[in-house]
Amino acid sequence: MHQGDTILQLQNVSRLYHQGGETIRALDRVNLTLRQGEFVAIAGPSGSGKTTLLNVSVGLDQPTEGKVWVGGQDLTGMSAPALAQLRLNKVGFIFQSYNLVPVLSAEENAELILLLRGVPAAERKRTVHRVLKEVGLEGLENRRPSQLSGGQQQRVAVARAIVAEPALVLADEPTANLDSETAFALIDLMEKLNQEHHTTFLFSTHDPRVMKRAKRIIYLLDGRVEKDVVSPDYA
Amino acid sequence: MTIVWKIAWRNLWRKPRRTILTVITISLGLALLLISLGLGDGSHNQMIESAVHMGSGHVLVQQKGYLEKGGIDRLLSPEEIRGVESWGQEMKGRFPIRHILRRTFVSGLASSADGATGVQLIGIQPLEEMQASDFDEKLIEGEFLNADDGDWVILGQGVAHKLALEVGEKLVLMAQGVDSVEIRSRLVRVRGILRTGLEEQDQALALMPLGASQEFLDLGTQVHQIAFLLEDSRFSDELASIGQENFPALEVLSWGEALPQLRDFIRIDDGGSYVMNLIFFLLISFTVLNTLLMSVLERGREFALLHCLGLTPGRRFIMVLVEAFFIAFLSALTGFGLGFSGHLYLSRSGLPLDLFYSGELSAAGVAFDPVMYSHLSPARILQPMILVFGLTLLLSVVPAWRAARSADVHSLGRA
Repeated sequence: MHQGDTILQLQNVSRLYHQGGETIRALDRVNLTLRQGEFVAIAGPSGSGKTTLLNVSVGLDQPTEGKVWVGGQDLTGMSAPALAQLRLNKVGFIFQSYNLVPVLSAEENAELILLLRGVPAAERKRTVHRVLKEVGLEGLENRRPSQLSGGQQQRVAVARAIVAEPALVLADEPTANLDSETAFALIDLMEKLNQEHHTTFLFSTHDPRVMKRAKRIIYLLDGRVEKDVVSPDYA
Repeated sequence: MTIVWKIAWRNLWRKPRRTILTVITISLGLALLLISLGLGDGSHNQMIESAVHMGSGHVLVQQKGYLEKGGIDRLLSPEEIRGVESWGQEMKGRFPIRHILRRTFVSGLASSADGATGVQLIGIQPLEEMQASDFDEKLIEGEFLNADDGDWVILGQGVAHKLALEVGEKLVLMAQGVDSVEIRSRLVRVRGILRTGLEEQDQALALMPLGASQEFLDLGTQVHQIAFLLEDSRFSDELASIGQENFPALEVLSWGEALPQLRDFIRIDDGGSYVMNLIFFLLISFTVLNTLLMSVLERGREFALLHCLGLTPGRRFIMVLVEAFFIAFLSALTGFGLGFSGHLYLSRSGLPLDLFYSGELSAAGVAFDPVMYSHLSPARILQPMILVFGLTLLLSVVPAWRAARSADVHSLGRA
């Protein structure tokens, strides 16, 4: 099923939740293929299945039906430690509410993934400083999350997501908690990283202004892919 | 693993007040436990030493059956005495043997112009016994015996009181000789009066020089007992066991076998204190469990994040164990510092029991020293430290398990 530069592939993926005797179909037979270097937005109203799609894509949630491949690896039946290892090696995350480790400084948060991957100290320091500079956090390396603004925290989260040069970066509503100016600055940054490093981004959003910046937009409604279109700006 | 240790350490100081309170609780528990163990062991040692220095010994050699049945005719022959003493000299190279003493024992009657009373007459080597035993320290009147004091005795305060005797006054001792049906009697004078602090001993004790007692009872050079006094009671069992192998025809007893009442008292006392300490530590355990569990439950979102980023369940489990390890380490260090300081003070200055009791105290046939001194061996210090570590790590398994399983990724989306 997997093709050469395919980073992510979902085949007939459904995710059902049972709540109070009722079955909720969060994802309904979703098919999706993401190739290296794409900059893709998932759009849709609240409850359309955006977050579930992101979670299922990297083994944070298990599909009820269907199959998922990340970087050519079939996630079906993989153990929790194996999935953790896969995420560590291939995926970067950016969350709506930043989700930094509060007891670590900006530099240590960015360094976390490299540490877990066992990258040597000297290389780690070099890479982290380069990435923090790239995301505009030079001089703020030693500050803890509580000492940073929302925009700065999200930049740390971006640095953490890209520092290990993952094949795929998932971002769940990355601009939702930011003011317009900071939100656009963040999207600029993501775009720049996509163009310069060929990093694949898959992010969910319901902000039309952010959506416009994506090269491809997947519209979800009630767990189904309603539309999968190349953005008019890039068509 | 460095990051796991770093996050674990910093997590502790996220809520410093909670961490400090937990560490203080465990430390105080450990310190009190060390002090209580020190005082318990110290008082037991004092009781053992007091008992072995008041007519007994760390190791006793006597004829088989003497412990159970006694009997004036259960004597060690001159050959046996030589054999045992020569073995004792050999053993000085392996064990810290301070003194080897010969003794005779007989029950008899003491009478004066004012009455008569039963006595336990012990024949002792005065010079050796003065160095080895505490009899001379218990004298309240007069002087201790000399080796050639053929017609002098030391009496317990109760005996002297019953017979209305004072130092220098006369009394008659009567007892059965070893190979005779006749009652033997001897007129002696009081050289000194002692008070051991044990009523029953003070009411019956009479000490006489060994030579005089052998002559009085017609024992020749035979004795009833050879007592070994050591530097440290811990060697008692081993020396007695080697002695028993060497002299299978004789009875070679450790202090515990010779003084079973005292041994049982110490065991029961130890058992009681173990139970109390266990209850105490179980109460502390709930504090630790509460702290760790609260700390983990509060951080569900963070564990979900680490799960997302690729920290395996095993590493999250270890992270919480490491936090518990840090708490245990800090607590053990502080608790040891506090407890050992307390122990050092109490081992030098002691705890005066008259703060709590007036009068003389005794248990299991042994008088308590009025000042209780702490004594802790390295093994005794290690036991509660290991208990603190073990218990804290054991209790952290539940929160660590929660952390390992905590993967509510939906919480990450919430602001």
